[in-house]
Amino acid sequence: MIQLYHVSKRYPNGTDALNDVTLRVREGEFVFLTGPSGAGKSTLLRLLMVMERASDGQILIGGRNIHVLRDASIPFLRRNIGMIFQDFRLVPRRTVFDNIAISLEIMGMGSKEIERRVNQLLDGLRLIHRAGAYPGDLSAGEQQRVAIARALVNEPAILLADEPTGNLDPELGQDILQLLLDVGRRGTTVIVATHDHALIERYGHRTLVLTRGQLAEDRPRVVGRVPERTTGPVPSSGVVPVGSGEPTADQAQAAFFADDGTGAEP
Amino acid sequence: MKRAARPTYVLKQAWLLVHGSPWLTAVSALTVALTLTLIGLLAMVLFNASHLLRELGQNLTLSVYLREGATPDQAAQVRQKLQGHAGIKRIKTLSREEDRARNRRLLSPELLQGLDEAAIPGQPMLEVEIDAELASRGDVDALVKWTQALHGVQSVEDVEFGAEKLRLLFALVEIARTIGVVLSVVLLSSAMFFVFTTVRLAVFSRRDEIEVLSLVGATPGFIRLPFLVEGALQGLAGAALAAGLLGLLHLELRSLVRDVYMLNVAWSLLPPGMILWLLIGGPAVGLAASALSVGRYLKV
Repeated sequence: MIQLYHVSKRYPNGTDALNDVTLRVREGEFVFLTGPSGAGKSTLLRLLMVMERASDGQILIGGRNIHVLRDASIPFLRRNIGMIFQDFRLVPRRTVFDNIAISLEIMGMGSKEIERRVNQLLDGLRLIHRAGAYPGDLSAGEQQRVAIARALVNEPAILLADEPTGNLDPELGQDILQLLLDVGRRGTTVIVATHDHALIERYGHRTLVLTRGQLAEDRPRVVGRVPERTTGPVPSSGVVPVGSGEPTADQAQAAFFADDGTGAEP
Repeated sequence: MKRAARPTYVLKQAWLLVHGSPWLTAVSALTVALTLTLIGLLAMVLFNASHLLRELGQNLTLSVYLREGATPDQAAQVRQKLQGHAGIKRIKTLSREEDRARNRRLLSPELLQGLDEAAIPGQPMLEVEIDAELASRGDVDALVKWTQALHGVQSVEDVEFGAEKLRLLFALVEIARTIGVVLSVVLLSSAMFFVFTTVRLAVFSRRDEIEVLSLVGATPGFIRLPFLVEGALQGLAGAALAAGLLGLLHLELRSLVRDVYMLNVAWSLLPPGMILWLLIGGPAVGLAASALSVGRYLKV
């Protein structure tokens, strides 16, 4: 799903944020990305979102080389990648409902379908009673759940989370991570950037360790360590699938650039 | 799924932008209204002045003075020559006595007392009513050229139709038109500047929202559209206000001309289609200004 070949990112001031990083994340995999501050975690996520371009190397997402992606195609790539930020990035002037609906409005979806999808997701996240509230009226945990809902509502193939628990207390942080694990179990490829080692140790998922812009370690998943809560009829984290069923790997692959239509070079 | 944004969504977002800075929006819309009202007034003045001049041309009378001692045959020859020209409505031949009698009627009784009959001016002449297409000074010059050709006829002494006054009137209209164009450009620029600034501030105040929209995959067009509509709405509000003001002014002027000045004006004082042009032009001005602002400040 995601492949990086000798990717480097050098800023104009001479700082090497990433240096010759090569890695591969499979479809539906849940991966932690860790390392000290300034190691290049956020830069890597920004490169995947094409918020920045790599200085060297190639990045392939869904088999397409985003290094040569035209600017006009970037929005269509982003529709397939949900992004969650540490500071939530909610629009303060829009209600919870409208913040989530943004991801569907941009696709020109009809209002009834938007209402159905957003309400379903809000219901699953136990936020339906807050649909008309503004972000400023929400707790940090609620804000992060709204941000996650916005990233998930259009059923992206990839979910990127940049320090999603960084602004939350440990208990809330675990709740949010549980939510992301639930998303991963439904077939979405999830990359969580965090420097919370306790959290990583606790769940034992594959972990990529970045140090000074280089991939220092690629720890495989430790089977059996994960104390994940299993999702019953009502998932503990509240996540429910928005669509009619879990997407298969093939479906996700095919859908990846389906909206593009602008012919980015592979 | 390359579907267009829902119109209701775009309008709602544009309305929220308007709602976000109501005072600035009001100032922009009022500036557009003031600009369009002034331009509309200028257009009304020029339209009616041109109409009046055209009416003058349609009822123009040339006085063709014949030389002393011109015979009726010579007068008939001139008459025949004139009749060959297009636009001649009527030709009336006046003898010296008839001309003198007409001039006598123009003088007051006090002046006529003790005045020798021979002192009252009188000259054999032809009064020619023509229907001239006078739309510019050039048309007056063309008429002058034609009348000058009559000077070549032996029995014709002079031809008069107040060409200088007509030329002056046309010159005044042309000056007013030039001033109007310059003033319109200045006023439109200032109105566009206000809309430009309002949209720029709206872009700045929505930077966070613009970033979020870009990150979730909105196309640049989707992000820009509400700002463009905001500018167009300001222009539309201004245009509607200007159209209303000019409509009211037109009604007032019409009753003033007809009921107070007792003038029978055959045409509408308002240039035809002007209200429609205002209602198209206002949003176009707003759209152009917001497009400039968005192009410069909204980078996605």
